[in-house]
Amino acid sequence: MTVIDATAAWLTDPANWTGPNGIPVRLAEHLGVSLVSLLIALAIALPAGLYVGHTRRGSGIAVGIANVGRAVPSIALIGLVLPITQAFDPARGFSLYPTVLAMVALAVPPILVNAFAGIRGVDAEVVGAARGMGLTEPQILRRIEVPLALPVVLGGIRSAAVQVIATTTLGAIFALGGLGRYVVDGLAQNDDGMLFGGVVLVATLAMTAEGLLAGLQRLAARATTGSGRRPRSRASLARPIAAP
Amino acid sequence: MRITRKLALGASMLVLLGACSTGGGSTSVPSAAPSAGGASASDPTIKVGSDGFYEAKLMAETYAQALEAAGYKVDRTAIGIGARTVSAPALESGQFDLKPEYVGSGLAFYQKGAQTGDPAANQKALQAILTGKGGGITVLDFSPAADQNAFVVRKDTADQFKLAKLSDLAAVQAQLKFGVATDCSTNPICGAALKSAYGIDVSNATKLAACDTPMAQALKGKTIDVAELCSTQPDIAVNGWVVLADDKQTQPADNLAPLVRNDLLGKLADKAGFEKILNAVSAAMDTATLTDLGKQISVDNKDIAVVAKAWLQSKGLVK
Repeated sequence: MTVIDATAAWLTDPANWTGPNGIPVRLAEHLGVSLVSLLIALAIALPAGLYVGHTRRGSGIAVGIANVGRAVPSIALIGLVLPITQAFDPARGFSLYPTVLAMVALAVPPILVNAFAGIRGVDAEVVGAARGMGLTEPQILRRIEVPLALPVVLGGIRSAAVQVIATTTLGAIFALGGLGRYVVDGLAQNDDGMLFGGVVLVATLAMTAEGLLAGLQRLAARATTGSGRRPRSRASLARPIAAP
Repeated sequence: MRITRKLALGASMLVLLGACSTGGGSTSVPSAAPSAGGASASDPTIKVGSDGFYEAKLMAETYAQALEAAGYKVDRTAIGIGARTVSAPALESGQFDLKPEYVGSGLAFYQKGAQTGDPAANQKALQAILTGKGGGITVLDFSPAADQNAFVVRKDTADQFKLAKLSDLAAVQAQLKFGVATDCSTNPICGAALKSAYGIDVSNATKLAACDTPMAQALKGKTIDVAELCSTQPDIAVNGWVVLADDKQTQPADNLAPLVRNDLLGKLADKAGFEKILNAVSAAMDTATLTDLGKQISVDNKDIAVVAKAWLQSKGLVK
């Protein structure tokens, strides 16, 4: 039986779609962990990125954090954090908390960097004009910068989502559920069908998230600048801005 | 200037030569007068080898030192030569003569699934195969020391539930969290064996790689109460954990035994004496001691030769 046959057989076996180790349960676990991690990362990185982008202060620190975050391997992070979270809660602190922490660390850099790069990339003349019209800083951020930066910001979220979905599989090494369970158990049991079935499922989930967020990105681009491209000439800025 | 430089060069060469001659290496000096079963001048140099991990190297070094104390010349080049996929063919082809082996895993290497929980049966089956390999290889007596799957609990758990053997677990299994190997559900020596021999149900156990760090960490931090480790894992000694005896022999027995090429045995003046030396070392070793020595090497970072010598002396096997 070739690997492809074994994988197809495993994926189509109804027994693998039922029970506590079935695909729906593992899929839900995987999505749950990934989503929680992403939301926490968004709560940390978005405000920070928007602030750094708008005020143009602290970008050095932000880039530094991003680089360090990218450099530390997730599995090393899980191993480092585990004894601490385990002492805190022997049950969830062994599998769940370390994995979530490592996934947050993985997701923060792309969201942070894209948030501040997106805001920074908004044409300074537009921001200046808005300021001149008497808009307050928060109003500028909310009504001018964020809408214009949204495609870039969403791009960072999209990148983070794909990475988190793919890397949450590591948690299975520390007894976490999720789709990583199939990869780890498949390796241990020498079961190619399970192993590559897990791989196919993770990849499909990641690609789905990627597709959804890419679609959102396109929508955002179209909504704010029409064609999604920045104005080519200064002359286009001479058109009157709609009354506030 | 030139004289100073020549002096410096000469001095450093002297130092180098001195360092070379006092280093270890493959040449050795017999430390004591040959005891009963000692070597004669006609005996060839015994080439000792082993797998790459510290436990195998420790056993090989221990056998080597015991032989040297009896006057044999020993060549240690092949100690740590590689994994079994390398060391087994090397032994068969005569690249070296003597190797410590685990009777269960060694048997499984040649005949997958043939190993049982009975070390004597494993040794017999392994001998039957090795008689036909490389011109004949002899499996000498196996040691009480075994490195095999072990179910381990913390000391406080053992005290609380009065646990000494696996049979004690069934009555209290509802109160304990189990950690088992990731392949437990499909491995006959794990899930099925625990159920049929001991009445223990591990279908909801936490799944982690057996014998590995996450499993040990899970036991340490009380995420689980019963862990599947390897019986000589240093974590057991470091943390004072209790290995539950496999009283129904469900786990493949992996006792240590020396393998020796028959062509070497044929060239020895005193073959019986030679075998007696090795068998004495094997008999004196046990699982708890092997665990402790392993801890000294892998956790305390002591030198293998030093640890081997200290143990041999403590047992009166060398002077």
